[in-house]
Amino acid sequence: MTVFKAYLKVLNKNKWMVILYTVILIFFAGFNMKTSDTRGFVTEKPDILIVNEDENIGITKHFINYIKENSNIKEIKEDENARNDALFYRDVNYIIYIPKNFRIDFLEGKNPEIKVKSTGDYMAFLSEMLVERYFKIANIYKSIETNEEKLEMLIENTLQKETEVEMTSKLDTDTLTKAAYFYNFANYSILAGSVFVICFIISSFKEEKVRKRTIVSSHNYRKYNRELLLSNSLFAFTLWLFYVLLSFILVGKAMLTSHGIVMILNSFVFSFTSLTLAFFIGNLISNKEAISGIVNVIALGSSFLCGAFVPMEFLPDFVITISHILPSYYYISNNEMVKTLEIISLESLQPFFINIGMMLLFSLLFIVLTNIVTKRKSS
Amino acid sequence: MFLHNLKYSLKTLFKNKTLIFWTFAFPLILGTLFQMAFQDIEKNETLDTISIAIVEEKENNIKNIFEELEIEDKKMFSIFYGNEEEAKEKLEQSEISGYLILSDTPKIIVKENGINQTILKYVVGEIIETEEIMNNMITYEISQNGVLTNEFYQTLYENIKKIELENKIEIKDISSRNLSYTLIEFYTLIAMTALYGGILGLYLINQNLANQSSNGKRIAVSPASKRTIIISSALAGYIVQLIGIALLFLYTIFALHINYGEHFFFILLLTLIGCLAGLSMGIMIASIFKINENTKTGIVIAFTMLSCFLSGMMGITMKYIVDKNIPILNIINPANMITDGLYSLYYYETLDRYYFNIISLIIFSCFMLALSMQSLRRQKYDSI
Repeated sequence: MTVFKAYLKVLNKNKWMVILYTVILIFFAGFNMKTSDTRGFVTEKPDILIVNEDENIGITKHFINYIKENSNIKEIKEDENARNDALFYRDVNYIIYIPKNFRIDFLEGKNPEIKVKSTGDYMAFLSEMLVERYFKIANIYKSIETNEEKLEMLIENTLQKETEVEMTSKLDTDTLTKAAYFYNFANYSILAGSVFVICFIISSFKEEKVRKRTIVSSHNYRKYNRELLLSNSLFAFTLWLFYVLLSFILVGKAMLTSHGIVMILNSFVFSFTSLTLAFFIGNLISNKEAISGIVNVIALGSSFLCGAFVPMEFLPDFVITISHILPSYYYISNNEMVKTLEIISLESLQPFFINIGMMLLFSLLFIVLTNIVTKRKSS
Repeated sequence: MFLHNLKYSLKTLFKNKTLIFWTFAFPLILGTLFQMAFQDIEKNETLDTISIAIVEEKENNIKNIFEELEIEDKKMFSIFYGNEEEAKEKLEQSEISGYLILSDTPKIIVKENGINQTILKYVVGEIIETEEIMNNMITYEISQNGVLTNEFYQTLYENIKKIELENKIEIKDISSRNLSYTLIEFYTLIAMTALYGGILGLYLINQNLANQSSNGKRIAVSPASKRTIIISSALAGYIVQLIGIALLFLYTIFALHINYGEHFFFILLLTLIGCLAGLSMGIMIASIFKINENTKTGIVIAFTMLSCFLSGMMGITMKYIVDKNIPILNIINPANMITDGLYSLYYYETLDRYYFNIISLIIFSCFMLALSMQSLRRQKYDSI
């Protein structure tokens, strides 16, 4: 108990670091997990800003309504700088400037020009498709219909023709994506939290004066080591449990489905790997000041390279290749895989277990390395 | 005395491994990680060829239209033809985004929601619409002339094409070419390095404070001018900071191939003033707080990280959210002054916003230095 009590004391000193990493997790995971409970096929909607200098009547109004139905209309302050900022930070993908007298010029066949600003990504492409499509139809019907109202009717009827889309997956992909996002980000918090705290505690116990006192005390060194090991494991376990509870709050019921449970299992194994890694680093370094540098490099490095912050599919191939040497890669791959898995069965989970095996192998490697390091140091 | 203290301050700084790590190495490591993680992210947001499958239950000319569609000289779709079983299999393996069954009415089968799926739906929708348009044109022709001449029917499609080409609404893109938002991450990196310089200022001032270090005690009892000591220490900090920032620029430009744009002189000017702001912030924290050195360092790091976070380091959306909703927070945020100055240089054509940030940084530095001076002057201890 003596060791454990001392452990808790040091832990208490470090509580702010753990709280910091947790807050980062809640903030980023919560911030990026948009909720939508839609099932079945829904089209993607670009964010569009319409700057209308024409009167909002007739064909202009009809066009604006059509864009509204097929996109998310954004309201931005009436200031060109604010609009430019919105475009740069991708708050809007596309800005449509409808010029003065657009409606009349259009109806008179003058082919007025529409100015746009575009982010050039696929959402902007989609927006452009919408605009082009509308005016293509409008122009054709204009050759046979001069009455504006009837023209609008013709356009309306044509645009309403829907294509039938069937979706095969019955998975609640949205919630599972959310869960995967949370657990991917937890890679950073678990790694940084446990490595930082455990390293700090180990180096506190290794301080020369403390160590000398421990050696001369009547406390059996085996018992001492065991208690220290148990305390660290208990900490890693508590941290993991806490993040799992957090996922229940942030993600919800989906964590209780078989997909969710598999993800929780995955994070448990990863927490264990982090624990062994923390043990290794803690025993390797003796300088307390170096801890925070090392933790940052390891946690940020693995998180950036393995897809905790930027999704794996967006990472360049050579980065993915490099990331194979990090345990985080196997942890995050598992989350990504479970997210899309249609049926959870022993057979479909085979690649999952291979990744789990890899993480355990890493743990074994860290344990062996720790032993080598401590043996060398003690001799 | 000035040169003597400058020399030894420089020596102490370079011998402190932790300080050198945070001000020299950490920005380089972070920059490397940014570059590795973000270099493809914008490329992935532009449209690529979409893989689909077409299952023909009935002869249909839609497939020719699909083959012809192009976007920026690239084929829009890469199409696999086969039966439904094969298409299903491919969809299951996620080799295709979806497949199209061509019978009386076309039907799309997809596995999940997504941008490729939406585009597929739009394209099929347009094809169906064209049929609808043709029907309407025919109805119109009959209502006008009573009969449908063979000639009309034959030229209908060409007529529609002609209208499409001749009466086209011109869409003119007037957006700036400079839209690469990942560059902001590197701007925040420059801001972070500049502000981390505060640790250097803090360390050096602490060395001169009698209540902080034994070195400080010795200086306090010596007859040396305190002003000379403080100014030369600050200069040493500034020099080390500039070496750090120069390393960052050299590394990001030559090793990571970051293109900072054409206004390099302006960027440099802003960075130099930014470094001064960071240093003066460190000096201020060192001089007005009567706490131990570790806590002071903690404050500098926490403040720097928070400022960088608000100016978009951990996701550029944050900067936009703050700019839009709580603008005052970013107006007084030194990291944002640097980031925003660089951003406005990159994105805007006028320099107003840039100069506004430069002046803000100068005011910030002066304010910090004034506060420090207030607390540093006439410090005397009877006993300590």
